[in-house]
Formats: sequence, structure tokens, C-alpha cells
Amino acid sequence: MAEPNRRAHSLFPVITLLLTFLCAMAAAQNKNGGPPPKQQLTEPSKTHNAQQVSKPVDPAAEGEKRFEINCGRCHRPPDNISPRISKSILQHMRVRAMLTQEDEYYILKYIAP
Amino acid sequence: MWRTWIRALITLAALNWVAPCKSHAQGETPLISANAGFISTTTGGQTNLQPILNPVVVAPIGSKLLVEGSYEFQGFVARPTPDSPFDAQYFGSLFYLQMDYIVNRHLTFVAGRFLTPFNIYNERFSPIWINPLQNAPLIFGIGTRTSGSSDGAMVRGVVAARSGWEWNYTAFFSAGSSVHQFQSGRAFGTRSGVFFPNIRLEVGASYERFLQNLHNNSTGAYLSWQPNRVPIDITAEYAHSPQGSGYWVEAGYQFKQTNPLGPWMHNLIGIVRVQQFFKGVPQPNDALLNANAQVAEFGFNYFLPKTVRVNASYGRQFSDAGNFNQWTFGVTKRFTFPAIPARNN
Repeated sequence: MAEPNRRAHSLFPVITLLLTFLCAMAAAQNKNGGPPPKQQLTEPSKTHNAQQVSKPVDPAAEGEKRFEINCGRCHRPPDNISPRISKSILQHMRVRAMLTQEDEYYILKYIAP
Repeated sequence: MWRTWIRALITLAALNWVAPCKSHAQGETPLISANAGFISTTTGGQTNLQPILNPVVVAPIGSKLLVEGSYEFQGFVARPTPDSPFDAQYFGSLFYLQMDYIVNRHLTFVAGRFLTPFNIYNERFSPIWINPLQNAPLIFGIGTRTSGSSDGAMVRGVVAARSGWEWNYTAFFSAGSSVHQFQSGRAFGTRSGVFFPNIRLEVGASYERFLQNLHNNSTGAYLSWQPNRVPIDITAEYAHSPQGSGYWVEAGYQFKQTNPLGPWMHNLIGIVRVQQFFKGVPQPNDALLNANAQVAEFGFNYFLPKTVRVNASYGRQFSDAGNFNQWTFGVTKRFTFPAIPARNN
């Protein structure tokens, strides 16, 4: 009984390392999945497909939805954020929660309209 | 080496502070976010009080570069013996002091001192204003030796994302250090997870190779799930190392949909956590129990206005070393403000 257990434990790090290697390789080669250019951040709906352009989203509502999906898994929305630091907070969270620039745009509209 | 690092980070942060940068007017002003808390814990009849202040400084340098640090001032007030008066000790810990370079969503370079990304508790739930139960899980010491922080470099990002899933990764290397405030273990590790945003489920796995003194592996897995229809938050972790292994499962129910006693219950979260630890071969300073143990805990969080939170919990630990009750009560407050005053033009 001990042998299969030991084999399973020795396979686990190998599989995890392999997955990470694949992640890094895929990330390095992923040229089409990058964030939109910075000038498009002001109007992210232009980067969407035609269906989304014809039906514009409410940025604050979309921001609330994205906040709940990404940030709300760990904490509640902050109270009374100063507009002067709103982007700094989002940059801090981009590193932790791996948000896109588009997420950043909409969440900003929600937490600091 | 560390002095050079600290000087470089402080110089960059200071330059950003004093420079009349145009981006500051666009919301990129450096900020201070502080978490203050007071936690009372009674374990087996012995009470200790912990006042905590945890300032976080964030200084962006443009839209790609970020310098951030977190330091905790903590007091520990307890009676050394049951009949003696309370004795207070104060100490500080540097959680992280790191520089982040955001290449894009797929790749962020992090250098400096950072929270060790093993499973999710350390990175996501360890701040006192976030964690629903103030006691760290029994398996917290697995994969996070020696201090919960690492000194070195890390890469992280999203490998690929589609509308229904998102695959993220983190990989790091840490140098061993016994320098005060910069203690870390020599190690490397990785974490990878898949998040399904439509059903709000994330599952992942972690691996860490400890390369200091006794070389060994730590492995882990985690789950985080917030079902769409029910306001419940389920989090779980499993971790294994030669020193021990175990798991914890936590569920938090927010009274959003049922409020028989009034709308004030919307801010109430009831929490249950069960955990189990299996002793391995103990090592010095591994921060793990020396006995098998099971713990069941119940508690609540209540969110008051102005980001004040009150939490309390009761737990019962059943262990080969003895059974005991544990009561905790805490108040936490989080505040965030610009680090430099506004200029009146």
C-alpha cells in the first residue's frame, strides 16, 4: 500500500512543475490575448464585438459585476475611495488578482465613479 | 545585498513621492492603506490580547511599475503565569517590500520580499481585515517556511482566458535569509489554478521545494467557490509535507436573502470551519503541531459602517496533546488615504 502512495507524492511535484512550465510557455507565446492598447481604455466597448457595441453596457454596473467576480471572492467593496488613489489601488490589485486593463477600467467606474 | 535592495526601492518610491508627476492627477497618487485591529484570544483558559497596526504603502511609477510594502506592528499582552499581571511585548514584521513590473495580464515580474504563494490563504486571507476567522489554519506552516514571506523573484499571470475559464500561474524562487525582518527560506515553488467565472469556482495546486538544510517537498491543493444562487462562500485547502499534512474547509453564509430579524442582518456572515492535521516528522521551527489534531470552529463577522468589522468565534480542538476550547473576539478597521496631500492650484 505504501508504494502507490509514495509514487503519487513523487508524481505530484512533477505534474505541478510541468503545468507551470506550460503556463509560462503559453503566456510567452500568447500574443493575441493581451490587454487592449492604453488609448482604448477610455472606451473599452470599442474593443468588443458588434453585439456588445450595439448594446452598450453601464460601466458602473459592469464594474460591480467584475468586482464581485474578481475582488468579491476575498473582500467587500471599499468605502469612499479618493479619486486620487483609485488607480493606485487597482494597480495593486492587478498584481494580486491578475486583472485585465478592461477589468481595471470597469471596476474603477464602480468604486470611484 | 538587502541594503542595496531596500535603498533602491525606497529611492524609487521617494522619487515618485516628490516628483510632480502628471499621472498623480489621474488617480495614481501613492497611497497608504492601514488595517488596525484588536484581537482577544482565550485558549484553554489563557487570554492574550493583540493590538495590531498593519500599514500598506503602494507607490505606482507610471502604469507598469509599482513599489509596495506592508509592515505589521503587533503587541502581545498576556499573563506569563496565571497569577501574575499582564505583560506586554511589541514586535514588528515586514510582510512584503516588492517591486512589480506588469508586462501584461499574462506576465508580471515581482522582485524583493513577497508573500509566499503557496495555496491561497497566505496571499489572500492573511490580512486581519479579510480573514473571516482570526486564527490561521493548522496547516499554514506547510509550504510557507520560514516566515510566510520569500526574498527573491516571482513571475505570475494568466496563461489563457476564455469566457468560461481562466488559467493562472505563479512561480517563485527565494533565497535563504536570517537577516532581521527579512527572514526567509531558500526554496522554489509554483502554483497553478483554473477559475471558472460563470460558476465562480477556482481550483488549483501548489508545489514548493525547500532547499535549506533538509531538502523536501510540500504539495497542496485549494478550492474557492461562491455559488451564484446562494450567498455562501466555500474555501478549502489541503497541504502535505514530511512534517505533517492536513486540510481545512470553511463556509461563510451571508444573510442576504433571509433576514427574519431585519435588514441589519445583510451585514452578518456566519462562518464554520473544520480542519484536521496529521503529524509527520517534526522539524525545528516548522510552525506545525507536534500532535494529530481536529478543530471545529463557529463564528460570525458583522460589518459596521466605515469599514469596521466585528468578529467572534468559538472553536474546540481535539488533539492527542489535549483538548481545549478557543474563543476569539476581534475588531478591525481598514482605512485608505493618499500618501501625499492634494495640491491646490
